[in-house]
Amino acid sequence: MSILEIIIITFIKILFILTAMLLTVSYSVYFERKISAWAQNRLGPNRVGWQGILQPFADVFKLLLKEDIVPEKANKYVHAIAPMIALFVAFTTYAVIPIGPNINVFGYEIQLVVADINMGILYVLALTSLGVYAITFAGWSSGSKYSLLGGIRSSAQMISYEISMGFSIGGVLLLAESLRPIDIVNSQTGWMWNAIVQPIGFITFVVSAFAETNRLPFDLPEAEPELVGGFHTEYSSMKFAAFFLAEYANMIIASALIVTLYLGGWHVPYIETLNLPSWLTILIQIGSFFVKMGALLFFFIWVRWSIPRFRYDQLMNLGWKVMFPLSLINIVWVAALIMIFKI
Amino acid sequence: MTQVNNSLKKRKKDLTFWQKIYIPEIIKGLSITMKNMLRPKFTMEYPEEKFIPPASYRGRPVLVMEQNGDERCVACGLCSRVCPALAIEVQAAETEREKERYPEKFEINMLRCIFCGLCEEVCPEEAIVMSKDYELAFTNRDDAIYGKDKLLIPVNQLQDRIEFLRKYK
Amino acid sequence: MPKITIDGKEIEFKQGQTIIQAAEDNGIEIPHFCYHPKLSISGNCRICLVEVERMPKLVIACATIASEGMVVHTNSEKTIAARNAVMEFILINHPLDCPICDEAGECKLQDYAYQHSIGESRFVEEKVHKDKRVQLGPHVMFDGERCISCSRCIRFCDEVAKDSELTFVKRGDKVTITTFPGEQLDNPYSLNVVDICPVGALTNSDFRFKARVWDMSRTNSICYGCSRGCNIEIWVRNNEILRLTPRHNEEVNSYWMCDHGRLNTFKFVNASDRIDSPQLRVDGSLQTVNWDEAFSFVSNKLKQFSKNEIAVIGSPYATCEDNYLVSKFAKTVLGTNNVDFIRHLDPSFADDILRTEEISPNSRGAELVGVTPTKNGLALSEIIKAIKEGKIKAIYLVEDDLLSYDPSLEESLEKLDLFVIHTTNFNASCKFANVVFPAATYAEKNGTFVNIQGRVQRIRPAVATTELDRSLDGMSLSRLDKFGTEFDRWAQGKKYDAKSTWKILTNLSAYFGQKYKYQTSEDVFIDITKNISEFNGLDYESIGLLGKELSLEKVKI
Repeated sequence: MSILEIIIITFIKILFILTAMLLTVSYSVYFERKISAWAQNRLGPNRVGWQGILQPFADVFKLLLKEDIVPEKANKYVHAIAPMIALFVAFTTYAVIPIGPNINVFGYEIQLVVADINMGILYVLALTSLGVYAITFAGWSSGSKYSLLGGIRSSAQMISYEISMGFSIGGVLLLAESLRPIDIVNSQTGWMWNAIVQPIGFITFVVSAFAETNRLPFDLPEAEPELVGGFHTEYSSMKFAAFFLAEYANMIIASALIVTLYLGGWHVPYIETLNLPSWLTILIQIGSFFVKMGALLFFFIWVRWSIPRFRYDQLMNLGWKVMFPLSLINIVWVAALIMIFKI
Repeated sequence: MTQVNNSLKKRKKDLTFWQKIYIPEIIKGLSITMKNMLRPKFTMEYPEEKFIPPASYRGRPVLVMEQNGDERCVACGLCSRVCPALAIEVQAAETEREKERYPEKFEINMLRCIFCGLCEEVCPEEAIVMSKDYELAFTNRDDAIYGKDKLLIPVNQLQDRIEFLRKYK
Repeated sequence: MPKITIDGKEIEFKQGQTIIQAAEDNGIEIPHFCYHPKLSISGNCRICLVEVERMPKLVIACATIASEGMVVHTNSEKTIAARNAVMEFILINHPLDCPICDEAGECKLQDYAYQHSIGESRFVEEKVHKDKRVQLGPHVMFDGERCISCSRCIRFCDEVAKDSELTFVKRGDKVTITTFPGEQLDNPYSLNVVDICPVGALTNSDFRFKARVWDMSRTNSICYGCSRGCNIEIWVRNNEILRLTPRHNEEVNSYWMCDHGRLNTFKFVNASDRIDSPQLRVDGSLQTVNWDEAFSFVSNKLKQFSKNEIAVIGSPYATCEDNYLVSKFAKTVLGTNNVDFIRHLDPSFADDILRTEEISPNSRGAELVGVTPTKNGLALSEIIKAIKEGKIKAIYLVEDDLLSYDPSLEESLEKLDLFVIHTTNFNASCKFANVVFPAATYAEKNGTFVNIQGRVQRIRPAVATTELDRSLDGMSLSRLDKFGTEFDRWAQGKKYDAKSTWKILTNLSAYFGQKYKYQTSEDVFIDITKNISEFNGLDYESIGLLGKELSLEKVKI
């Protein structure tokens, strides 16, 4: 493949991922509202389009038309950059997540991932740590006490949970013997999903993922009863929308990561025994990736409307005294498995 | 001090092992929300489907119009006096009817009205009652001042409330 | 002093007083309908029954002469039972139409029904029907059913108005009040019967159904109708005067006032011909201008005349403060001695009850504070003559109407070089005025009037002008005034852009380089008390509600 072809193909992939991402984000907002309504015996948005299907677009239009208010005491530049960082981090992380096996189109062998990097997981960890800056900047630059407290809380929270998150991944890496996401997926063929092989690691990772995305029960940075809107109290219009989108984009990435790392990626157990035509197999596999991801998204939302928020000390206790040791135990467990079964 | 310690210990004992590891409790909580997701919904789809309030409902206050088109009100001004929000303005005048006094002007400022129903309670003539009408929206302050044209409602439309008042007032 | 004991309290009384009077003097209230301190005793309502020890039956407090050593109980079991019975009896035929009745809120029967009645009636039969809405006279409406036959109105006409017009007819429950054949209740004091009627049987046709008493504010003031200076209350709702009622002042008007004062002295305050801002004649017609323009025009013009070409005419309708400044302005700022005021006399108006020949409220005050020609200055008749001869070229006329006083002046007024008027409403002279200043009416300002007896009495603002704020300026407030906002139609009553004459003159003097330091009318009054011996030692507080007699020789009425 010439360099030009690679550029074009990559460009198409980026375009595809970006569109899919934005659509999924807007519809995860829609489903968030719908599911919350159902959990509370309501109907949810049902006025814009059939069953309110166009509601996300209406919301975006509304936000676009809102006045952009910047507080007088705010640091204007940082205040403007913060939401951009949030969005940038959320979208770029997706580059390394594979959604299916390699396919053949017009004689080109194409990997279903934007960038197949051999240290992709490190890339993901690096970017998610950058996400802290968005929130901390937003909190600090707003010149508001609520925002500042929200920002501080979230940086402390994200740093704490990043550790257990990283150590949870340790187990996965030991098994896959690679940092390449595609290798990790391929190490989980059949029923050898990491979720089954290392359940403790799975649980600590999921919990850390909740904390990293600031979702309930860990949404302390924006705890409404205490902090009004948390770090985004002083944001309005599209800047607010950027944070909003970033939160949901993070949720999607977290789901995709969980699928990749623990739920076998695009793999469907025993699909090869059915002897289906290869194009159908691939289609089913890509589909299965999205089904798994959708189920996880539903789980994220479902948890939000079921479980109350932790107190801040509980959150820290949980992070340092429970999640961190558990993830260490998980590494020992995986190492032992490898030693015993010589996998 | 010892007592405090005891009570603290007791509280810790209250959580069982399974509760302490959270996960079964989380699953319990999730199952409750899931059950509710599958239940029938209570939402009323408002403009198409309207809430018909019971007789005890206090909607906007209205004046009772007799069968012959006259108002019952004699403009005594008690509603205006009792109104805690000063929403009611009454100007009396003389008429040839048997009840020689009538409201030349009767205005309720719906922006001031708090729907407490004291006007209805104080009315000696059963002339002002709380209707079932809750659809009140205005685009300017002047529209919110209801005069006699908007306040007078035929008595047969208010039978429900009048019977309720006779029973419980 | 002989003593009696009422409810365990030993009190002194004057020989010949009845129990009710003795009690009243000592602050003990015995309920009464027919008794009135200024009317003869009739003793027919029976509500004042009290228990007197060693008397076999209850006695009526209004007709029993108090005697040494009497022991009276006004709240014993027996008296309360009797009172309840009397209330029940009176209420048998009294219609339950308080919602319709105008008296509601100031009705004795209503109050007593709360205080002295058990609140239930055993009477289930139909109440008696009598004539309703009977026009007894030009101003008074009668409702027979509401009447409790206390006869106060009949006694008033006989004894106070000295014009017997009313009487009872029929007997028993059919008893009612009517005028004598061919008569009408049209004596000049007829509306007092409305005040003394303890129920809503007699109502004022002018005020009927206009407002509830609890919606109005009331301000203590002085009647404007003649120089008697009857003490009155001004009742205002939404910045509009709705009625005037007499206020008790034994030294002046007792409990009464005449119909002319009650009906004809307040409507001009909210009339359509009120002047709402300064007017300046431009190209033959009066144009609205702002105060500064008017002041600078007047001051520039006045400076062009020599002292003898100017005449200043004060007013018996204006307060002492206003007149004092008129005189001071004329004599010090303008330097003219041609200062006088117009006396308004109407011998046909006077009677020997309250009304006086002088039909302006403050001619004595105007005279006392110096609105009189001094040092060869021209008096009014000479001023008029001088105007006709063309010697006077500028006239400064305060709160009066020169043309109506002397219609023959029409031609000469037209020829004047400058004619400045302070007036509340447009009058005939305004036709020739170059500048018209809107003056505040007597109901819009603080000040004092000196009545015919030489008694100085206070007036207070009851109606707000644009420069007055009801609460900030200490005016009386009704409930509606307290809570109304600019968005409430019932709180948007018209406020006129008018000023008291003393204030206009204070402002105008500044254009002549004279800075008067008067902030309030009381400042002016204090200046008066310092400079005019008759007023020495007075201030607004000591004048109080009932006024103070000045040290003068009495004037014949």
